[in-house]
Amino acid sequence: METRPRKVLSIDLTKKEYEVKSFEDLNSYIGGVGLGFKLMEMYYDKNPLIFAVGPLNGLFPFASKTAVVINNDGVIEDVYLGGSISLRIRYAGLDALVIHGTAQEQTVLDITNAGVSFKNQSEDPDTLGLPGKRSVIKMDGSKILLGGYFTTPEHFLEKEFTDKNISGIVVTGTELINIKDFDKYEELYKKILNRKNELSVMEGTYPSCSNCPMGCGKSKTGEMGGNVLLHSLVACQYADRIYTDVGVVFSCLNVLGYNYTHEDIEALPKLIEQTLRRIS
Amino acid sequence: MPKILKISFPEKCVGCEMCAIEAQRQLRKIGLEGALIRVFRNTNSKLGNIEYALEIDPRISSLNVDKIQKICPKGVFEVEETD
Repeated sequence: METRPRKVLSIDLTKKEYEVKSFEDLNSYIGGVGLGFKLMEMYYDKNPLIFAVGPLNGLFPFASKTAVVINNDGVIEDVYLGGSISLRIRYAGLDALVIHGTAQEQTVLDITNAGVSFKNQSEDPDTLGLPGKRSVIKMDGSKILLGGYFTTPEHFLEKEFTDKNISGIVVTGTELINIKDFDKYEELYKKILNRKNELSVMEGTYPSCSNCPMGCGKSKTGEMGGNVLLHSLVACQYADRIYTDVGVVFSCLNVLGYNYTHEDIEALPKLIEQTLRRIS
Repeated sequence: MPKILKISFPEKCVGCEMCAIEAQRQLRKIGLEGALIRVFRNTNSKLGNIEYALEIDPRISSLNVDKIQKICPKGVFEVEETD
């Protein structure tokens, strides 16, 4: 298996410090929930809040979710947030955000690519970052909302933000991704987009996740539970007919330069299960 | 004949950014840096009534605007031919 380092932005709220770490040995976890659980194991003692994207985010349609992994009083939970943040994290050149510690005062994290500014709560998150290239998560009434609309099931984010003294997170991504065979990539992108009638959700006029044309009513509250391959990629559960098709998955990964084998994909559920068992 | 991409029905926008991403692909870019279409959430909109606003860089006319119009799932754009 080819190794592609995973870039993780580690943010220490207590010390107001951050660093980008490049991990060479996390390839087998693919991304999303797999990467998120492994990072939870690595940072377990620091009680992290993790946002992890997968290799398809920002690159293929219907792959617009972000895995959010938290330690809920000893129970490791994975939930999936829609909206635009998966694209912003990917376009920031990152695979995951690991936020740990507790801020001494209510703090807004203003993240642009691999840099973080720690702002106090008087800063309105909607004025930070770059318009059109940012995602904003902040308290809106009694709820934590992304882009004023998207949230996660079970109010896990509300608890994490309260416990860590976070009042907002803004992520801006301004990097460009290079692909060796752009023509082949574009052909595959269009082919997948043309399969939108295979999604098990109705088209609507609701705010849509980025890189998804559906505008469905289901994306508002995110997802919980389901297929580990989808959640590692991190594709929408309603696109399962597309992204559980191993041929499609391999085509996508290969055009992006990931040389996974069938054995790697088959080993993923067990790898995730073992990782989860070690931290549960 | 040159073609112009017009934002005719901004109220229909669902914020999917398919248009911005398509325009970037035509420039063989993946990412939003230097994007010729930008999609903003209207921060004045009230909870439960999310609205989006779009901005188009005039240089968009050098791209295949028909493709951009067609990829929008909600028909936000119209293409006009100019003399």
